[in-house]
Amino acid sequence: MSTIDLTLQIWRQKNSDSLGNFETYTLNGISTDMSFLEMLDVLNEQLTKEGKEPVAFDHDCREGICGQCGSVVNGVAHGPEKEVTLCQLHMRNFKTGDKLVIEPFRSRAFPIKRDLLVDRSAFDRIIQSGGYVSVNTGGVPDGNTIPIPSQVAELAMDAAACIGCGACVASCPNGAAMLFTSAKVSQLALLPQGDSERKKRALAMVETMDKEGFGNCTNHKACEAVCPKAISIRNIARLNREYAKAIFTEG
Amino acid sequence: MWFINFLKSSIGKKYIMATSGLLLVLFLCTHVFGNGAIYISSKAFQGYADALHSLPMLVFIFSISLLVIILAHVCIGLILFWQNREVSKSRYAVEVDIVQEKNSIAAKTMPYSGLFILLFLLVHISGFTFGPEDVPVSEHVKELFSGFFYGVFYLAGFAALALHLSHGFWSMLQTFGVNHPRFNCLIGTLTYIVPLFFLIAFAGIPLYFMTGLGANY
Amino acid sequence: MELNSRIPSGPLADKWDNHKFANKLVNPANRRKFSVIVVGTGLAGASCSATLAEQGYKVKTFCIQDSPRRAHSIAAQGGINAAKNYQNDGDSIHRLFYDTIKGGDFRAREANVYRLAQVANNIIDQCVAQGVPFAREYGGTLANRSFGGAQVSRTFYARGQTGQQLLLGAYGALSRQIHSGGVTMYTRREMMDLVVVDGKARGITVRNIITGQIESHSADAVILATGGYGNVYFLSTNAMASNVTAAWRAHKKGAGFANPCFVQIHPTCIPVHGDYQSKLTLMSESLRNDGRVWVPKKVGDTRPPAQIPESERDYYLENKYPSFGNLVPRDVASRNAKEQCDANKGVGSTGLAVYLDFADAIKRDGEQTIFKKYGNLFQMYEKITDSNPMQEPMMIYPAVHYTMGGLWVDYNLMTTIPGLFAIGECNFSDHGANRLGASALMQGLADGYFVISPAIANYFGTTSIEKICEDHVEFAGSRESVNNRLQKIMRNSGRGPNGAVTVDEVHKELGKLMWDHCGMARNKEGLEAALYKLPEIRQKFWDKVYIPGSGSELNQSLERAGRVADFLEFGDIMIRDALERGESCGCHLREESQTEENEAKRDDANYSHVSVWEHKGVDQLPQMHKEELVFENVTPSQRSYK
Repeated sequence: MSTIDLTLQIWRQKNSDSLGNFETYTLNGISTDMSFLEMLDVLNEQLTKEGKEPVAFDHDCREGICGQCGSVVNGVAHGPEKEVTLCQLHMRNFKTGDKLVIEPFRSRAFPIKRDLLVDRSAFDRIIQSGGYVSVNTGGVPDGNTIPIPSQVAELAMDAAACIGCGACVASCPNGAAMLFTSAKVSQLALLPQGDSERKKRALAMVETMDKEGFGNCTNHKACEAVCPKAISIRNIARLNREYAKAIFTEG
Repeated sequence: MWFINFLKSSIGKKYIMATSGLLLVLFLCTHVFGNGAIYISSKAFQGYADALHSLPMLVFIFSISLLVIILAHVCIGLILFWQNREVSKSRYAVEVDIVQEKNSIAAKTMPYSGLFILLFLLVHISGFTFGPEDVPVSEHVKELFSGFFYGVFYLAGFAALALHLSHGFWSMLQTFGVNHPRFNCLIGTLTYIVPLFFLIAFAGIPLYFMTGLGANY
Repeated sequence: MELNSRIPSGPLADKWDNHKFANKLVNPANRRKFSVIVVGTGLAGASCSATLAEQGYKVKTFCIQDSPRRAHSIAAQGGINAAKNYQNDGDSIHRLFYDTIKGGDFRAREANVYRLAQVANNIIDQCVAQGVPFAREYGGTLANRSFGGAQVSRTFYARGQTGQQLLLGAYGALSRQIHSGGVTMYTRREMMDLVVVDGKARGITVRNIITGQIESHSADAVILATGGYGNVYFLSTNAMASNVTAAWRAHKKGAGFANPCFVQIHPTCIPVHGDYQSKLTLMSESLRNDGRVWVPKKVGDTRPPAQIPESERDYYLENKYPSFGNLVPRDVASRNAKEQCDANKGVGSTGLAVYLDFADAIKRDGEQTIFKKYGNLFQMYEKITDSNPMQEPMMIYPAVHYTMGGLWVDYNLMTTIPGLFAIGECNFSDHGANRLGASALMQGLADGYFVISPAIANYFGTTSIEKICEDHVEFAGSRESVNNRLQKIMRNSGRGPNGAVTVDEVHKELGKLMWDHCGMARNKEGLEAALYKLPEIRQKFWDKVYIPGSGSELNQSLERAGRVADFLEFGDIMIRDALERGESCGCHLREESQTEENEAKRDDANYSHVSVWEHKGVDQLPQMHKEELVFENVTPSQRSYK
């Protein structure tokens, strides 16, 4: 195990109404086996002991699946390693003397609540507008009634792996939420269960997405590049098809 | 109503961009074939131009449609540009290139390359469509391109077009939902071939004259 | 405290049907007059909120995260059991019931477990209908795997992300109800207190995590789906926000807490690296199918694994349990790993790890086969530890994973406070002293989708509930006590950080105490020492803890402090419960209760009961009650893995 010394430049903002600014901290003797969030824990313990307010950041499962953590490290959402969330990024990716600039996910649709913590409830509202199959509990057919080819289930699973962290929006030069929205639309469009509502779903979810203040997709692929779950922009292509089909034929 | 909703939606705007983009590429195809006549001989080229002008109705309809398409492409493009600037202003202190691909430059510069092409277009139209009526077009071409700066400007215009297309062609297919692992390799190749084709076919003309090859034209 | 389990009469297989028929119902038109509070949006909470709202009740749902989709159910990897018998390998509801109750070492109620096995099939159908992308066979039918030592393939799965997919299914159903107005969703709220009016649970007091505001919410019934308390150990596989506060507050208001000492410790986790470590990561148990567990024979051997010759390796599981070998149940594997490390044979920089070696499997099956099977797990391990299991043995160590104990509930999942229900990991009901793999997801969804709604209907149908709202005096009183408590936590902060301790420091100290004395193996002496030591830590917390910032804004230190304060109180009944249970059972070895071969010895004559703890007041000792367990359909047998 080796240790490194770092300079951190972290965005501090008291609440959504106040202006924020960068603060600089030095942190010595960081074990390279630490995760990025553990490094922030160490910083916060240090700040607490100095009587300063710790840095607020979102996190929960710390195993890369809940999607609650996420910040932009040196310009890249979830940091320099591919296909990991911030909690799975380890300090061995950095070396002594590195300066890390840590910023919250920035997007018009994600207001900053404090420091690195943002409000991503717009994602919830996109799902609420149609990201589900409308079945009530009970009264459903046996699980094996509809055969679903293994490849289709796998494709649906690829899309369903989205953890809703928001890195796609944070990285998109336009702040678009197409990758997130398309992942859910794709999952349910691929599976026969989602078929009866597919048009309504595509229209409603895109409408909500636009209303929530996300930008327009211009096919930059930045979302795909930072997605910790490697969700493909093929899903965006599928959403485009679904949307066009729906708008020209629905109603 | 539904069509207005479609136009207002983010995906709808993309479809307008993609559709108008596709039509513009198709127009470029006809244009490039017409221009191809230059390489045969000045006579062939003049013949083509005269044939075209003998059908004023067709040219008129074509021009109006083209104008509408260009206006749609430019206007929606500008709307997207402004809307997206609104969303993404005051971004990150550290800016890095996340997408490590060659055409990420093309993607980022789409509005700028597009605007340059528009400028080029205006110069091109004022030069040719509203050019001197008494000089045959085949003469006019030679005359214009023999000027160094005019030629260089044209070359820059074509370079911008190629850059624009290198993202635009793929982007159009993606918007139309054409993205499948089986064809992505082919599409990837086409994103090089299509812009390159137009670049060579168009840029050859000013080069032909600028290098003096077309001195006897 | 009266413990009436309300187990329906009749033969085991008919109890659930009989019960549903005997239950009172609420007319669909009347349901909108009843409101329900659901706390937590994991599998149990989300599915329950959606189901109740679909039926027409007015539901208010609360979660601590920024979105209901992030509850820790999302991290479950393995799968979900159901006795569909799709594989035609002899599975049946009765077999699932038997496996579950036997796995729980006969410390759960027959009727509850049987019901769980019965509704499990409906869960699969429900989830498939919601569009959960379960793994499929090439022919398109649902795929199954054998899991956690079961002899039949009954586990349904969606890659290694089954929990995520099931939760997103339930989250979808919940989202649909939020959209239609059936559910009002409150995110980033932490439940601070239960409000009891006239002996019935009538609401909750929550803290808005963003604004620091204390809010009151009233309803006609309260359902807790707040998960387990594994974080009392500081290090566990639980999410950082998982806590006991909601359940503990309910306990202090009169809800009995059952079997608090039943904690499952998972054998295959990535070991602790250093004292900065914030959580432990689980590696799938399936690794033990091909990996061989060993430690060096010599005490304190620090050579790298490759330099330790075959003759100097101790494959202790294979040697001790020749018939099961590396596939012994979780508790046996965990306990033996700790034993080896306690004997200074542990490996790695901290000495708190054992090797899980794939070299033989790679030699036997080839690199490709092994990588195909475990590639994603290996990659995850390599990401965390920077070591490649294809080249050097993995290091593993047990970690706290699941808590079988929880709020005591009757057959209707109602606690000892009328109108307060507990579902999912938050209650104690179905897993006895040990939980089988792929059963947690099953129980959470069974409770939420199928069990809770008849129970709620019956409660509303049989109870007269007065209309009250948040201006009732009990709500004001609750808000005041919550505010007072927060002020008490903040009271040292004026003095500044000098000479103070941080929340995490206290939490780590508590965790170490619990792990050392109330972990996998316990003895009277250790437990008594812990019981003596715990008040000291608690005192230190109240005297010295320093919380920066204020209570009227987002303050993550304050949130953690509130949770740790509750863990410090809760630890007390955990240790007492462990002390009272003089037998080894399920996950735990009580060192005084062993066979001659040093194996766990269950004591059915004296401990075939559920221990239920009653809070008697702040400075009073808690009182233990017993619910005797009656086995009419199965005969408790002693486990043996030799």
